[in-house]
Amino acid sequence: MRKLAVDVVVIGGGSTGAGVVRDVAMRGYSTVLLERADLGQGTTGRFHGLLHSGGRYVVSDPLSATECAQENAILSRIQSEAIETTGGYFVTGPDDDPAFADKFLEGAKATGVPAREISVAEALRNEPRLNPRILRAIEVQDGSVDGWQLVWGAANSAKAYGAEILTYHSVTKIDTADGKVTAVHCTDLKNGEDVVIECGFVLNCAGPWAGQIAAMAGAHPVDVIPGRGIMVAMNHRLVNRVVNRCIYPADGDILVPVHTVSIIGTTDVKVDDPDNLAIEPKEVQQMLDAGEVLIPGFRQSRALHAWAGARPLIKDNRVAAADTRHMSRGMAVIDHTTRDGLDGMLTIGGGKLTTYRLMAEHIVDAMCEKLGEKRSCRTADEAIPGSESGKNYLVTHRLEDREHDRLDDQIICECELMSRKMFTDALATQPKGTFDDLRRQLRLGMGPCQGGFCSMRATGIALESDHIDIERATGLLRLFLKNRWIGLWPILYGDQVRQTALDNWIFQGTLDVEHLPQPESEVAL
Amino acid sequence: MSRVIVIGAGLSGLVAANRLAGKGVDVTLLTKGIGGLQLGQGSIDVLGYAPDRVTNPVLTLSAIASARPAHPYAAIGAEAVHTGIEYLKALLGDLLVGDAEANYQLPTAVGAIRPTCLVQPSMVAGNVTDGARFAIVGLRRLKDFHPKLVAENLSRTPLPDGGRLDARPVMVDVPARDGEVDSSGLTYARAFDDPAFRDRFAAALKPQLNEGETVGLPAVLGLKDRGAWKDLSEKLGHPVFEIPLPPPSVPGMRLNEALTALAKAAGVRVVNGTRAVSARVEDGVVKGVTMATAGAPREFTGEAFVLATGGFESGALAMDSYGSVTETLFGLPLQGLDDGPLVHGDYWSAEQPLFSVGVRVGKDMRVLDAAGAAVHPNLFAAGGIIGGSSRWAEKSGDGIALGSAVRAADSIVEELA
Repeated sequence: MRKLAVDVVVIGGGSTGAGVVRDVAMRGYSTVLLERADLGQGTTGRFHGLLHSGGRYVVSDPLSATECAQENAILSRIQSEAIETTGGYFVTGPDDDPAFADKFLEGAKATGVPAREISVAEALRNEPRLNPRILRAIEVQDGSVDGWQLVWGAANSAKAYGAEILTYHSVTKIDTADGKVTAVHCTDLKNGEDVVIECGFVLNCAGPWAGQIAAMAGAHPVDVIPGRGIMVAMNHRLVNRVVNRCIYPADGDILVPVHTVSIIGTTDVKVDDPDNLAIEPKEVQQMLDAGEVLIPGFRQSRALHAWAGARPLIKDNRVAAADTRHMSRGMAVIDHTTRDGLDGMLTIGGGKLTTYRLMAEHIVDAMCEKLGEKRSCRTADEAIPGSESGKNYLVTHRLEDREHDRLDDQIICECELMSRKMFTDALATQPKGTFDDLRRQLRLGMGPCQGGFCSMRATGIALESDHIDIERATGLLRLFLKNRWIGLWPILYGDQVRQTALDNWIFQGTLDVEHLPQPESEVAL
Repeated sequence: MSRVIVIGAGLSGLVAANRLAGKGVDVTLLTKGIGGLQLGQGSIDVLGYAPDRVTNPVLTLSAIASARPAHPYAAIGAEAVHTGIEYLKALLGDLLVGDAEANYQLPTAVGAIRPTCLVQPSMVAGNVTDGARFAIVGLRRLKDFHPKLVAENLSRTPLPDGGRLDARPVMVDVPARDGEVDSSGLTYARAFDDPAFRDRFAAALKPQLNEGETVGLPAVLGLKDRGAWKDLSEKLGHPVFEIPLPPPSVPGMRLNEALTALAKAAGVRVVNGTRAVSARVEDGVVKGVTMATAGAPREFTGEAFVLATGGFESGALAMDSYGSVTETLFGLPLQGLDDGPLVHGDYWSAEQPLFSVGVRVGKDMRVLDAAGAAVHPNLFAAGGIIGGSSRWAEKSGDGIALGSAVRAADSIVEELA
């Protein structure tokens, strides 16, 4: 058993937890972040990557709108490396109510969200694939954000301030004594070791899993209602700006260009278990129909991958429990002292990726107040490591990198222009990582071939690195192929069927991967 | 314009065209590009798993033919596969060895041991045997072959006939082209065509080899020079074998180039570089196939047609976003669509039924409808377009292609006569 002692334990390695651990560390507390899987593997990495301008909320949730507009400007500066400032349009579809755009413009003015109506002709000039039958178009400052880069950036910043980031550490128990949290127990899932962390404070940032964590400390049930959303990644940047429907927020009304793909989302269905999120065929069809409204011919475009995420919404009595879209997306800090008579713990719920820094500021402010200390937040003032230049990324940035090193290094993943050195460097920092852990940082296997060509190469290179043995290398290949398939089969149509046939030809046909020695138990992490 | 039109230039299309031309029939071969041979492993599979590992492919396929009426081998039959194999061997001379009664068990580029029936001579020394000692050699600048992965998986795998082999990885760094670190298999194959490169390569490798070792290399040992591997083996003083890579497949290209050259020499007219987009049918009879040639579409008419277009991998079959599956040229009726979901979510469990979808054929390889009647009297199918099998999992694709191609060709010859 390993023992640690820190001021603050942060539970949850999504954007909220990463933002919180950075803020806590920057205010001079010693801190550890615990995440049961990889950073950004839960909700954060499973949404469309929209950096909100605030436009989406100008009518339905004015407070969120203002916060989004402010945080958008801050993040584009302090985390420039993770953000592409694409800009965005709100467009009125052929059958949408054109009057909503007036409400939208009024709301934007009232909430301080920069917005400007442009002519349909201008919108079509800039985004030629847009439906030419749109009625109105409003320009906003939406952007696209790489959730994994965002979270790792915040985590690396926290580390620079002395924080420890423990991924694949699953919380098993929270000790309390005399009405106060005293320690957090967890298991290092990679080696089975138990770890006990004595602490003065616990910040519960576990998102859809926050209820489960609060229960471990003996708190009254925290009602988290996971709202499932599905996303479909299309093979090309069908648009270069974020395109939103100018309607009251609904399903499938956002198309976001992220790196080399564009992502349409999303649905919102109340579910019971955030660990069990199905991708329903009818929801996929719904996304494709919604895509057709924005981009005629959307169904003929190539879909690459689908996934589902769970929103961490805290129950709000103002709306019916079944309508999760309209529950408060604003953050809610649950004070367990007044609620449960339990000192030393706060739970945070709700919120969104765009406002993750602000949420962290609020919860750490609340903690400082409880501790009777005045330490001010500096997270908006300082760029995270890697973003000091303030230069936002461009879709072409890897192409530029490869132009520089193409004569010195191999390209292991042609789809995403990942070099051999990028892979071996990431592997050296995460020698126990799975290929999916590496994928989240490198985009390995996320392009058109979905691992068809790169996954065998990655296996061979990982084995040659001597971090892993042959059983694990082969097991990681099996795991990667299995996991890619989870997101492939729900959208398997058109050109991706053709690609899958080729991939099967390679793996089953030429390589006969199925007849490698079967593992006694599959590699899972 | 020709008496017979063959559509598709994979193994089945090339064999059908050769066989027809060899019997004096005027043939035009239509193809969008290089056929599927360059995507495969460059050996000839007949039957590798059923689902257990198969040692005698022709014998086992007879059993499948009687037990599984929807399987292509039920229509094709063992005799046609036999004929196809003998025909191909006669065509290609020293490029293929082996016979229909036995499988080789050859290492793959991940170190699995894969059954296959006819192989190129450059692969023979890889046939696994108890107590064999392999040096698996990687090229530092070729990213599609990782010797440690191959060697360590081979060493830990019990051999099909019992026993073990001992394999160890060796890495050498000989550039195929100066200043290039990311060379493709094709670039290396062209380099190995050059005797001077083979000298340099042998000089770099030889000191790393131990006595008694057989040398396994990625399958890039020459494209044009069929003796390159043998020359290298002599220079090294060790037996050498090739291990096929993912596409582009150099051994597949050798087969493709040889069969294409033979077809042209036999008088087949090859129209390459454009897609067949539509077919004209009058009174149930196929009259012509139109290619999207530059400037204006162009129709190729004939008396009989061989559909050798492959499956989903080539675009011969397609599934749209509503889940509807079609044969893209003729809109032919398909088998395998009515037995439940076409795909499922578990990658490592049962085969995905989608990839067994295809047309039905009769014993003469005419395309049939669900009732067993010919869809068009002059339309025949060969190769991957025929449904009913999991070609890649079974390792049966080439045997199906050969058997159906000779059957289709022979039926047409009989018909025209």
